Amino acid sequence: MAAAAPPPPPSPAAIPETIVPETAPPRHPLFARIRLGTIFDVPQLHKLIHQMATYERLTDQFSATEASLAFTLFPSPSPPPPFTSFTVFILEVSPDPFPPTPQDPSNFSPILKTFHLDLPIEDSEKDIFRSEIGGDVVVAGFVLFFPNYSTFLAKPGFYIEDLFVREPYRKKGFGRMLFTAVAAQAAKMGYGRVEWVVLDWNVNAIQFYEQMGAKIQPDWRVCRLTGDALEAFAHLNI
Amino acid sequence: MAAAAPQPPPPPFLATIPENTVPETAPFRHPLYARIRLATILDVPHIHKLIHQLATFERLAHQCTATEASLAATLFPSPNPPLPFTSFNVFILEVSPDPFPPPAPQEDTTNSSPLLKTLHLDLASEDSEKEIFRSEIGGDVVVAGFVLFFPKYSTYLAKPGFHIEDLFVREPYRKHGFGKMLITAVAGQAVKMGYGMVEWVVLDWNVNAIQFYERIGTKVYQDKRICRLTGEDLDVEGSAK
Repeated sequence: MAAAAPPPPPSPAAIPETIVPETAPPRHPLFARIRLGTIFDVPQLHKLIHQMATYERLTDQFSATEASLAFTLFPSPSPPPPFTSFTVFILEVSPDPFPPTPQDPSNFSPILKTFHLDLPIEDSEKDIFRSEIGGDVVVAGFVLFFPNYSTFLAKPGFYIEDLFVREPYRKKGFGRMLFTAVAAQAAKMGYGRVEWVVLDWNVNAIQFYEQMGAKIQPDWRVCRLTGDALEAFAHLNI
Repeated sequence: MAAAAPQPPPPPFLATIPENTVPETAPFRHPLYARIRLATILDVPHIHKLIHQLATFERLAHQCTATEASLAATLFPSPNPPLPFTSFNVFILEVSPDPFPPPAPQEDTTNSSPLLKTLHLDLASEDSEKEIFRSEIGGDVVVAGFVLFFPKYSTYLAKPGFHIEDLFVREPYRKHGFGKMLITAVAGQAVKMGYGMVEWVVLDWNVNAIQFYERIGTKVYQDKRICRLTGEDLDVEGSAK
């Protein structure tokens, strides 16, 4: 603490603040923003969704194109108001602070957060995911969600269809930031629930969700009619 | 059908019984006419009762706090009701001993025309709740079930689909194909609109339902689990800041 001799080398145990060596590295700030996606984000969104399909080993099911995403997520000429249909939040990061956003109660205000990282992030795909906004802003992830309805509560909720953070940005709290954004929007709108699906063997994900206060519903099984089985209903008489 | 006494004209669609093998004492089949149509705000009292019956069946009545008012406000908002199939939709299943009038021709083919079907039952159904579920349409029309569904999105297909939240047929009307009729109405609408899938959830102990779903080509996922954040837990961190 106040010894004349140089302090002993730090042990593996926690180092008390008063003897932090002068050589401690400065933290690396990374500024993050979550904002509503627009049609201009479609090229980045398409790449993100393809990366997600690769991660989930479901690329054989992937048939989305930039055009089909634009047409279905950002329909024209009457786009639905935000949160009333399929909604995308884009996660962007930058080494520089984002401009502060005026809080407008009638519109969605982007969510800003500063992360202090021990090491700068190595992002080899930085140029591919450079944001359409410009500058040094890079798209790091997204969440896609839409309203669902609970008849028991007689209230809408949100269903999260996809949540994805690019590999260099994982394990830093960005996934949680995206979840929180959706949950906060549900709370703001007086909605009842936020729901999504997890694979029962994905213990890491389950732990993460339970830490946020989510409950895994053990008795329900997802059913899906698609492809030829769905097409068969075009010709059936009821 | 070959008795000496005069026979009434056969009802339409009765074509399956070979005339020369039916004994004279065979009971007449009981026709039951069924219709599936889009619900309106006037159906809310019945929808409310049906939801409570469904909750009881699922052993979740303690979770059901819906009221007629909250259902009306959320399913039939005013003054700007959403277009059919763009938000939360309800199909009502009605039955009657008399034929329903044929549907009026629809100018807009994306709108759903009521679907009609005639069943021939061996026994007339005993419906002790007939009076409670008498349709607001009037006559001898009784509400027998409903399906509630809304659009969902499939990112890999970049196509919408439908999610079925509730599917329910009242007890006296089960095992006659009405559940399939309601799913067919939703699936048919999905195909008509170029949608990519219809999804829903089933309780793992509901073996009858699971068998029925698998028979119509549904894939039941054993490894997917629903996660849910509710009520006060929605404010996960207070703020992301």
